[in-house]
Amino acid sequence: MKLWLKVLLAAFVLGIIAIIYVYFFLWNKPHTDFDKAKPDFSIQAEVLYNEYKTDAKAAGLKYNGKVLEISGNLSSIENKDTLIIAVFAFEQGMFGDQGVRCSFLPKYFEAGRMLQSGAAVKLKGVCQGFTDDVILESASIVE
Amino acid sequence: MKRIILIAALLAFVTLGVNAQVFITKTGFIKFYSSTAAENIEGRNKTVNCAYDVKNNNLVFKVLNKSFEFEKALMQEHFNENYMESDVFPNSNFSGKVTNAKDIDFTKDGVYKVTVEGNMTIHGVTKKLSQAGTFEVKGEKLILKSKFNVKQADYGIKIPAAVAKSFNESMEVTVDISLEKMNIKQK
Repeated sequence: MKLWLKVLLAAFVLGIIAIIYVYFFLWNKPHTDFDKAKPDFSIQAEVLYNEYKTDAKAAGLKYNGKVLEISGNLSSIENKDTLIIAVFAFEQGMFGDQGVRCSFLPKYFEAGRMLQSGAAVKLKGVCQGFTDDVILESASIVE
Repeated sequence: MKRIILIAALLAFVTLGVNAQVFITKTGFIKFYSSTAAENIEGRNKTVNCAYDVKNNNLVFKVLNKSFEFEKALMQEHFNENYMESDVFPNSNFSGKVTNAKDIDFTKDGVYKVTVEGNMTIHGVTKKLSQAGTFEVKGEKLILKSKFNVKQADYGIKIPAAVAKSFNESMEVTVDISLEKMNIKQK
């Protein structure tokens, strides 16, 4: 085979590989599986809430986007159609109870619904930030 | 004697507190949608904070930008890192009033057309907003619905030049929030 043909063929194959890579690993890259992620911090829910309440900017720099393993006594479970949320409440605010709110991954909906108010639990999730609560999403039950 | 009893009852009422009607939720739904030449962009947030105080006619929304979910992870990344700059501006807010609140009978189930006016803050920029919508009174619930357009440029959201031509200059925002009555004692 002539050299220019070999070069053309190699460039074509590399181009196909690049397109496949971009399509599967960039354009359609999957969401992070936080269920398998190792926690960056382990912290008591109340300590976490107080850090954000004292200095939300500093706490955000430290925890936003990080996987947190939080422990504490559950205040309540909110059971909506497509949302199961574990609530650690520490005070009242404009929007009701304030504290740490953890939205479960769908595979933990059933287990989340069974959790009892007052139970000591350990949950893991990604910290998305602070409104009047610290918000954890993609949460799973550790124990 | 009757006067004494009446005064005593009024004093007891004031001392014990008055229940004010405040409706709240932390699981409100807001969606935005924009079409481009390449694909459609849709972000959904199911954990919007919203409160409406009937007595003061104060309506407040608080939205955590990183709680918007997208079908594609790359789109979610671009939304937070390039467009909303969510690390710098983590929340979007609205604070305002219902201009025709007197037309709403909170004791009677029904759907009431409303106009809401106030300040909307997105990406660190605050603008006056006036939009139509509905309040549905349903027992102990108050359901807010509205659909309106927001121009990205009005809030300093920059679309990269490489893709700007294929973007719509505005996004359609859908609000569908079900609030529940909260018992508040005011002295």
